[in-house]
Amino acid sequence: MNRHLLFSSLVICQVAAPALALVAVGLPALVGRAPSERFTCRAVGSGFGVAFVAALITLAALAFRGFRPEEVHLGSWFSVGHHDATIDLVADALSVPYVCFSAGLCLLVNLFALKYLHREPGFTRFFLLLALFGLGMNLMVLAGSIDVMFAGWEFVGISSTLLIGFFLERRNATQAALRAFTTYRICDVGLLAASVVIHRAVGSGDFERLFGVDWPYGTCLVPLETARIVSLLLVFAALGKTAQLPFSGWLPRAMEGPTPSSAIFYGALSIHAGAYILLRCEALLEQTPIARAALIAIGTGTALHASLVGRVQTDLKSSLAYASMTQASLILVEIGLGWRMIPLFHVISHAVLRSLQILRSPSALHDRHELEAALGGHPGPATRPASRWVPQRWSAAAYRVALDRGYEEMLVGKLFVGPVQKIIGFAASIERRWIAWLGGDFPGGRT
Amino acid sequence: MMLEWTPETMRIGMLAAFGTAIAAPLAGVLFAAAGLGRRAPRGLAVTTATVSLVASLTMTVLWHARDEAPLTLGSRFGGGWPLHVDGLTAVLFPYVSLIALAILLVAPRRDLEEAAVARMLFGLAATLALIGTSHPLLLVVLWIVTAWSTWRSTRASLGCRTAARVYGIYMVVAAACMAAGTFLLVTDPPWERSASSVGAAGGWLVAVAVMIRKGIFPFHSWGPALFSGAPTSVALMATMPQVGAYTAVRLLVGHADGVATELEVLSQFALLTAVYGAALAMVQQELRGFLGYLAMSQSALVLAGLSGRLPMELNGAFCVWISSGLAITGISLATWALESRAGAISLRTLQGRFWDAPALAAFFLLFGMASIGLPGTLSFVAGDLIVSGSLDDQLYAGLMVITSTVLCGIAVMRCWFHVFGGPSAIDSPRHAILTREQVPLTTLFLVLVGFGLVPRPLVESLERAAERILQRHDDVDHEPDAEHTRRSPPRFSRPFDSIGLPDMKGMSRC
Repeated sequence: MNRHLLFSSLVICQVAAPALALVAVGLPALVGRAPSERFTCRAVGSGFGVAFVAALITLAALAFRGFRPEEVHLGSWFSVGHHDATIDLVADALSVPYVCFSAGLCLLVNLFALKYLHREPGFTRFFLLLALFGLGMNLMVLAGSIDVMFAGWEFVGISSTLLIGFFLERRNATQAALRAFTTYRICDVGLLAASVVIHRAVGSGDFERLFGVDWPYGTCLVPLETARIVSLLLVFAALGKTAQLPFSGWLPRAMEGPTPSSAIFYGALSIHAGAYILLRCEALLEQTPIARAALIAIGTGTALHASLVGRVQTDLKSSLAYASMTQASLILVEIGLGWRMIPLFHVISHAVLRSLQILRSPSALHDRHELEAALGGHPGPATRPASRWVPQRWSAAAYRVALDRGYEEMLVGKLFVGPVQKIIGFAASIERRWIAWLGGDFPGGRT
Repeated sequence: MMLEWTPETMRIGMLAAFGTAIAAPLAGVLFAAAGLGRRAPRGLAVTTATVSLVASLTMTVLWHARDEAPLTLGSRFGGGWPLHVDGLTAVLFPYVSLIALAILLVAPRRDLEEAAVARMLFGLAATLALIGTSHPLLLVVLWIVTAWSTWRSTRASLGCRTAARVYGIYMVVAAACMAAGTFLLVTDPPWERSASSVGAAGGWLVAVAVMIRKGIFPFHSWGPALFSGAPTSVALMATMPQVGAYTAVRLLVGHADGVATELEVLSQFALLTAVYGAALAMVQQELRGFLGYLAMSQSALVLAGLSGRLPMELNGAFCVWISSGLAITGISLATWALESRAGAISLRTLQGRFWDAPALAAFFLLFGMASIGLPGTLSFVAGDLIVSGSLDDQLYAGLMVITSTVLCGIAVMRCWFHVFGGPSAIDSPRHAILTREQVPLTTLFLVLVGFGLVPRPLVESLERAAERILQRHDDVDHEPDAEHTRRSPPRFSRPFDSIGLPDMKGMSRC
């Protein structure tokens, strides 16, 4: 069999398998015939399974040939004038190990969720969103062009939002989902604008024409000015999904979703999506010291903030959320320092550990309650030797700051959200009065 | 004997299909007036709308088979023909017929009494006739007829007097501007060398008329009022065909050299409206108010693209026209179906409707996402084109388009969570979606997904239509030059030139 054809088939398999699972479960559900739990779980699990196996074979084949990248051009999606949206996928040392790890994790979470969500009213909805997430993740990771990457990025964002708001009957869940979506949308501006700049610069969204696909040895193929603009936009895009300051408020609230989705999204994959796109475009970042400096500064600030705030959390999932935020920030610092393999290993190791912790958290709580019952009370606070060296006054001040989440949300609310809401609210009230007046529906007027 | 498909037979076939598409709803009006549809008004309406849709599709297929050459009939006057089928018409005919058919299928029984059906079919026929002409005088007449039809339908509906009054006030001014402006444009075309200020005044009047009919800030209030106060069918038929945008294409965009300033002003106001409408959609307290402002924002994006001078912008505008129209129709129909079960829906608190109607929640979400650029749907392609086109044209225009897209997204998601989130009412019954609701909603979504996954035929066809429109002076005498994509230099400097971002095809490494 032709080598290129083999690679193409394997790479397409990694995207097509979750897509087919999505259609197999989604179409019957859309026409009002939701499939059984067993079929749903098997269909979605098969999608991830096939993608995982295909990724493993691709990885083996790539390793056999010294990780020389293989590009898969699926043609032009549409083209108008100088704007050519191409469907390109790439199998290289970055994308294929990442798909192995993401498809493998999705498969495990799929198996875990079968029992965890058994007879839950939104069972089919959960698996549909999981399949959509898997499709988005694989598209984003294997993307060889900015258009495909953006499509995958959007799928990840939408599925993440809907899973945070999975328990629709809870007010907190819907509010948390809306908050996460708002943050995502604001930061998506970066990726959308970067996409347009790339199209404008090289005539298509193809990474090959931007920095080559020989990761991690890519070379910037565009002028410095373009590289700077694209890098800064990508950094902005990454801040939202990686929950960096000042966009970090959504992450602890995102734990309102079901535990399996929290594990895979905020412990493992979604939280690292920003880091992935920065790693993919590292050749551009290398040319942009200001973007790297911004990454180091924001990452360090967020790591300190999350580490401090995480220490005063009173529930397990919030603690884990802040721990995830800390690690994701450190990964961004590593990328800012120009390292390539260390952040990749950091992502994979952190994701595996954190998703295990989150998946274990419900049963850990159960075990803890059993322990307390056996001991006949609370075992007492854990000792923190380091705190002994900090003066009491400082410790109290730090505690107060941490309890208020570093005043981050208060500042964002007062400086940005509040004024914007006031202006829009004022405009809306003027509109209502104007329509009422025109329609003769005013006090003393004819109705 | 086999029919031989010569260009002439195809031309006759196109004319027959064109006539049938308009005559079918008119026949429906006559049947209804004669009292023949009293027993089954929906059956009569759906039959005639289906015939209209099939005829429209036939016309489109034949137009494509004729190498997409424009079809005209009658003598040219004021730069237009009484019958004019080009790339835009060929796409808009099935689009409008499909929307009308979907509305008629989903409409609750109480909104489908015989007189309402007759008015709606009359409105459909008038809209199709308007889309099939570029003759200035016919445009004015049909513009007034379609506006009157909407006003009459609104006024005849129970409790809709306020909306009818607001709509009436705006449309009287719009019709006056349109009639006077077109008259001045025809008597002294500003795109001719000998033009004086008379034609320029005509251009401005038509621009104002377009702004009012399109619901562009500060003339937008009738749109949200209609969505809030009129039946959904009336609001959708008044806004989704985008008669104002069509008029702008025929009277202004095709003569861009003569009315450049007017188009630029339209573009600025349209961009402002796109952002303003999206911002207001985020804070609405009623579901219908949200729909009104969402439609206003999306519709403004169409005009913003149309006012550009690049084929890509025009193409993006056409794609947004179709995608946002189908998506907002889908959301509105899902809303209508929901309201027919549960009454008016507030956004002040979480309504918990998911538990009553999960299928409608799914459709609402899918269409909502499709209206804001869900990958895999036509709106993703449309958004990509319009953002790229407007950023190419002017940096801040692109940023405004992106901002409006972001705000619309937040508004849609907020609305979905408010309508469907929250605990279910204790005694709320579970309403299964009806087949007559499911079929049109599924079809609309499949059209959006179909053109989203395989956008090339539509995009290429609309690109050719955009090029023809931008070179309209020449298309009668000779075919447009494929290489020539711009009539004149752009009005604006390219934004990226100023920040050192030239075209980089084939550029060496840095």
